[in-house]
Amino acid sequence: MLNSFRQSMAWVHTWFGLVLGFVLMVAFFFGALSVFDREIDRWAIPETRFEPQPMPSYDNLLKQVFADLKPHPLDMAATAERVIGDLPAPETMPMVGLFAYTTHRDPVLRIGAEFAIPNKPIDPKDDHLHVHGWATIDPRTGAALPDDQLKIGSNWFYPMHYSLQVHWKNIGVFVVGLAALVMLVALVTGVIMHRKLFKEFFTFRPKKRTQRSTLDLHNMTGVVALPFHFFFAFTGLVIFASFYYFPVSGTLLKPLHDRHEVIEAEHTGLPHDEAGVPAELASVDAMVAEAKRIWAERDMAGEVGLLMIEHLGDANGYVSIYRAGSDRVALVGEGIHFKASTGEVLREEPPSDPVGAVNEFLTGLHLQHFEHWTLRWLYVAGGLLGCICIATGFVFFVEKRKQEHAKRRLQGCRLVDAMAVTTVTGMVLAAVAMLVANRLLPDAMPGRGDWEKWTFWGVWLLSLLHALWRSAPVAQARSNPAWREQCWALALACVAAVLLNWLTTGDHLLKTMLLEPYWAVAGVDLSLLACALVSVFTARRLARTVEVKQASRIGGVAYE
Amino acid sequence: MMVSASRGAIISRILAAIFGCYAFVWGVVALGVAALHGAGVEYHAAEQAMMMLAFLLYLGLFLWTFAAASVRRVWLVLAVGSAVMLAAAWQLQRMIIG
Repeated sequence: MLNSFRQSMAWVHTWFGLVLGFVLMVAFFFGALSVFDREIDRWAIPETRFEPQPMPSYDNLLKQVFADLKPHPLDMAATAERVIGDLPAPETMPMVGLFAYTTHRDPVLRIGAEFAIPNKPIDPKDDHLHVHGWATIDPRTGAALPDDQLKIGSNWFYPMHYSLQVHWKNIGVFVVGLAALVMLVALVTGVIMHRKLFKEFFTFRPKKRTQRSTLDLHNMTGVVALPFHFFFAFTGLVIFASFYYFPVSGTLLKPLHDRHEVIEAEHTGLPHDEAGVPAELASVDAMVAEAKRIWAERDMAGEVGLLMIEHLGDANGYVSIYRAGSDRVALVGEGIHFKASTGEVLREEPPSDPVGAVNEFLTGLHLQHFEHWTLRWLYVAGGLLGCICIATGFVFFVEKRKQEHAKRRLQGCRLVDAMAVTTVTGMVLAAVAMLVANRLLPDAMPGRGDWEKWTFWGVWLLSLLHALWRSAPVAQARSNPAWREQCWALALACVAAVLLNWLTTGDHLLKTMLLEPYWAVAGVDLSLLACALVSVFTARRLARTVEVKQASRIGGVAYE
Repeated sequence: MMVSASRGAIISRILAAIFGCYAFVWGVVALGVAALHGAGVEYHAAEQAMMMLAFLLYLGLFLWTFAAASVRRVWLVLAVGSAVMLAAAWQLQRMIIG
């Protein structure tokens, strides 16, 4: 496109990196937080601060819990728009399928069910016509947690990581997907631009002027964590590929896919459809015991992670029991399926074919259901290195151009810098402010979770307005004081969150670390304090940064 | 700026890189799944294999879109390629199902 191959690649790196960088920053930061999503949940919902629990007994506890579970009003409303005629009353809908899911880090248990409806769909191709119900329960008692309590870690930060919480037409998922592709592009073009890969591994000159040391840091973080970044962007895309990005099986190749499903159902012996004959459910606990015995026989003794029942109450019903994958990287369920009415084994899933095994390993390494705390922290470090790489990219973009923009009275740098403030300090501030709101809002407040979400968006918006309002100096080639000010605000918010956690729950760090160790909460508190320290350090450092008046080109690198 | 391309040409390349390459990879994935399955590979194995291949191909095509000398040729390859592959995948599916 441009004069040379390297210049073209540099152009792609600069401009795609800049525009999608803002999205990548969100994906990397909230991805890093998602590594500890369950722990953040515990911090945000103090009633659930107890030890992780195994899957409870179905016969003695879950059976009754599911009997009480009703279609969720939200899904009732959503389904009503897809069908002809009015839906029957929720109490009358028969439950035809259910699941219960837990991990080695979950004190609480997520459950869900499908309810059959007689209505025909408006769109004849709409073949999944069920109303869903869901709940989170305390597996020790079966008591449901209030629906209003937002799981800030697993239901807000984690979906933010892959969807930006923009759910309309799945736009968010596609934007994040494009950003992930651009991450791959940026890594390849970055390497093409530089060539001195080995040297950059060890080069960081913090005492040089901002532009030089920023570029050092950008290159170093990019190169040091290159395999990590490439791997996560790539596997993130693969995880969503068949459902969102290339849904061939649901569209163009649907006939082929559906034909395969029917053949597979015959092959596996698991009934594809209902028989239409009612049947009782045998003891599920006995099936769980049998599944555990079979796993132990394969030298893979373990707990149940996922329990599912298909065609519930029908003669074709079957119970599927999957292992919790806490002792290996690959996401293998070792599923064992039982006939629901008798408890006889219908099918033991065979080991995956090579392609499936590779896929399970890749997605497993991204989704990390395994139990390995050191590796978990390395993931956080990798994610934060990615954030540094992207943020220094923004800073370098601005530093390189702001002298020239000031001379030519352009506002581009000013805007990019304000956006950078918003996606760096503003984003962290929004996340921490949400935790502060979580501790300040009254427990019984209706729509409490929604207020937490509005706090998040509100603070983020304020940080943008603040950054824009304070941005005038950038147009004169100086720096935006919003960086420093938001660092101070962040430090305050972090300390406030830790103190509020102590005041409202009595769980101070001495208690959670030493007296009655509960590392989920202690870890969040310690991370908040670490964040406060980094913010204070950064704010003080920014205050004494000497403005460099003279702009000069950096040799050896084509960056236009 | 050392840009020697016109604004229109740059926009054309950006659209080609994002949407043109997407359509092309769609074609490859659809044809690949149909062909592999037709050749006896289990459906989901074929699907997963193509999904993993898809993004490496997308990455390569994306870079090629900006490296190629002629944006016209880029569009021609992407448009004709995706149309042909989608049609071929559809035809192959009909043959397999019979």
